[in-house]
Amino acid sequence: MSSTDTARSASASLREFDRTTSRWGQATMGAALLLSVAAPLYLVLTQDLGITSGMIWTAYLAVAAAFFVLWFVEPITYFPVLGPAGMYQAFMIGNIANKLLPSALVAQAAIGAKPGTKRGEFSALMAICGAAMVHVLSMLFFVGVLGTWLVSIVPTDIVDVARLYIFPAIIGGVLVQLVATLKQPRVTVIAVVVAVLVLFVLVPAVPALAKPATGIVVLITAVLAWFLRSRKTHATPTPLVN
Amino acid sequence: MQTELTSQGSSTDILAIANLPVLWVLAIGVFAAIIVQSLVYMKAAKKAGPAADISDAELKVSFRAGAIAAIGPSLAVVLVSIALLTLFGTPAVLVRIGLVGSAATESASASLAAGTMGAVLGDASYTQAVFVVAFMAMSLSGAGWMLATLILTPILRRGDSKLRKVNPALMAIVPAAALIGAFASLGIAELGKTPVHVLAVIVSAVTMGTCILLANRTSATWLREWGLGISIMVGLTAAYFAHISGMAPAA
Repeated sequence: MSSTDTARSASASLREFDRTTSRWGQATMGAALLLSVAAPLYLVLTQDLGITSGMIWTAYLAVAAAFFVLWFVEPITYFPVLGPAGMYQAFMIGNIANKLLPSALVAQAAIGAKPGTKRGEFSALMAICGAAMVHVLSMLFFVGVLGTWLVSIVPTDIVDVARLYIFPAIIGGVLVQLVATLKQPRVTVIAVVVAVLVLFVLVPAVPALAKPATGIVVLITAVLAWFLRSRKTHATPTPLVN
Repeated sequence: MQTELTSQGSSTDILAIANLPVLWVLAIGVFAAIIVQSLVYMKAAKKAGPAADISDAELKVSFRAGAIAAIGPSLAVVLVSIALLTLFGTPAVLVRIGLVGSAATESASASLAAGTMGAVLGDASYTQAVFVVAFMAMSLSGAGWMLATLILTPILRRGDSKLRKVNPALMAIVPAAALIGAFASLGIAELGKTPVHVLAVIVSAVTMGTCILLANRTSATWLREWGLGISIMVGLTAAYFAHISGMAPAA
């Protein structure tokens, strides 16, 4: 084969790889999306709980107001690192910043592949497959089997207390972790001031705003952070939560 | 709104419905989707490997390196997940915390959703109906990320000129502001609850701060990935002792 033939067959085989991974990536992600929404929907439809669609929409709007910015920003931010095939893996497996990206970087370093090259993309893809297998197995075994058993033997008074205070015990750590990794003191101060004012001044005065309160804080913080940003330092992109 | 709920909807026995067999089947279906995807990807990578200038041996090395690097972070997620089992049941934790989302986003969504029903996660107001609405809201929010990925990936791939030209300062500040805004608001809202809630937030925050400091000052970088798990456990332990010593208002 002449070198142009080789180049042609190489690009054809890469095109086929792109086609296969896109098609299967979309199909498997679509399936995961439907299955994951089917679970709560099954409970809504089969259990006689008296849940109305109004309750679901209200809850959804409160959550969406807090997170919709991130739905779009995270995929755009990660695309250059993950490549198209990796996108369908990463946003299904989750824990991207703390697990998948480090795995991909370690693998690329192990074979001396540069990010941004085809070698790098393939290496990252295999690394994410490896990480996915370890993660799936450890979740199924340690959480699915051992965890369920563990909860069944722990005394109920401990379980009740854990259930009661698990959220504040998560949120304190998460907040400090975010502030420490994002290193945006100005944004942090703005967020805290806005949150205190909204939650302890605005909401008591206008109780109707209690439900969208977090969305309001997010919106005001984003707008203020933008207009009060420091124009001197050069900004670096943000590492994210998922 | 609570009056519309049925007697079953007002039951606080979350695990009675959270561990139903159908939910297990659906959760395992999500795991199966990931496994199928990985198998298809690995086969495709092996086939196109020569064209990408990467050998079979290098593909294997990459797989193994990724797998080993994921052990620590995966076990850290396991610890956090187990702590959340009593709140959401196993199938929901497996799918929402273990996969798709993260402990931070999913518990935040649940807390927000419970709030719209006038309930607090885990206490007497956290009924089966509140759990189901929270589960629904978390799942729809997670679907937001997946839908955005499904829609944006082909667009970004086609040339992504417009999206990549988005002002870098905007891409740095707005997401950070949205993140810190959401979690600061949720954290500060906890300070308006009982003294034990306040204690749990503060102990967890201080523990995390200590983990980060130690990780930066020493070579114990594993503290970075285990920080959240440790903070939750220490925060819960402090809350437990405060609770049994009577700091919480009588229910």
